[in-house]
Amino acid sequence: MCDVQAKLVAWLDRELTSDEASAVARHVEACHECRRWVATYERVSQTCDAYCDAVMAAKAPRRTRWVPVLAGALIAATAVCLAFLRTRVLPPAVIEPTVAIASPPVPETPPVPQPILRKPMIRQRHPVPNTRERVPQEQPMDAAIQIAIPAEAMFPPGAVPNGINFIADLGIAPDGSVKQVRLRQ
Amino acid sequence: MSDDSVPLALPLPRLAASSAEVTALYRELNKPLLRYLVCLGLTSDEAQDVVQDAFLILQRHFASGGDQENIRGWLFRVAHNLALNRKTSYHRRFGETLDGGKDFPAEDATPEQVVLEKEKLRRFAAAIQLLTKSERECLLLRAGGLRYREIGEVLGIATSTVGDAVERAIKKLAEQCNV
Repeated sequence: MCDVQAKLVAWLDRELTSDEASAVARHVEACHECRRWVATYERVSQTCDAYCDAVMAAKAPRRTRWVPVLAGALIAATAVCLAFLRTRVLPPAVIEPTVAIASPPVPETPPVPQPILRKPMIRQRHPVPNTRERVPQEQPMDAAIQIAIPAEAMFPPGAVPNGINFIADLGIAPDGSVKQVRLRQ
Repeated sequence: MSDDSVPLALPLPRLAASSAEVTALYRELNKPLLRYLVCLGLTSDEAQDVVQDAFLILQRHFASGGDQENIRGWLFRVAHNLALNRKTSYHRRFGETLDGGKDFPAEDATPEQVVLEKEKLRRFAAAIQLLTKSERECLLLRAGGLRYREIGEVLGIATSTVGDAVERAIKKLAEQCNV
């Protein structure tokens, strides 16, 4: 092992005096082993620089990459719009009469093949309210009770002419309680 | 107003000159300082804070007529000491792996080159943790472009000690990493 080897790092860092540096340079030119060490130390220094840069890059605050996010959102929105626009609007269902209408018997004739006509596809740009008839749900109906009340039962004798009755309309809620009372003559 | 009034001696020209100097120094040394601090173990935000604090102190240093010799070493020393004040994060985070980092090899590198480069840096990251604290700090300050004398001033050690520490560190890394 050369004595000069201990000075190689300092020589690479230009930390030696000019006389020392000249001596080391002459030795390195002649010594194969020292040249090899110099090359190794230079690679270590370069790796150290790369390591520092990598640490700095790894710790740099991450910025949101908006381009892929926006592109994805745009593609999704386009797909939804296309799917929506391609939706066919069905014509309202025709309710067939359930009762057969009496008609003279018609001799059976073979069905005439009809040409298949393509209906133009209807593209709807705006949402269409559901045209199907809704089956009205059975709502619990409030029971109504009418009670005839003679006037004598509510007023003192003589206050109201005889023969007049009052009708009390009682609205009964589903739970059996009285929901509404309306008195009429 | 009386004739014998004393003119106000505001140090505005000196402040303006110092601001220009600080701005020039900031442009030159911001990145090396940040790099040194994150390699010490600070997060990017902490390193930014430390660098800002260091330059504020530098501004005051100039404004108060402080010594302007070897400002680079002075800034690294201030930043180093500020970083050490955050010892908790320093010790907790030093030696963070490079996983999850950005792609540091060149963009035009082939996938094989990328893998090899990452592997080499991982080995280096593991090896650098085997160094002593002094060796590691000397090495990182050297990577920041400081001379041995400046490193000695930053760390408060002799220049010859810096030379020995750097040499030992380089040799250890060469053996460990087999570069």
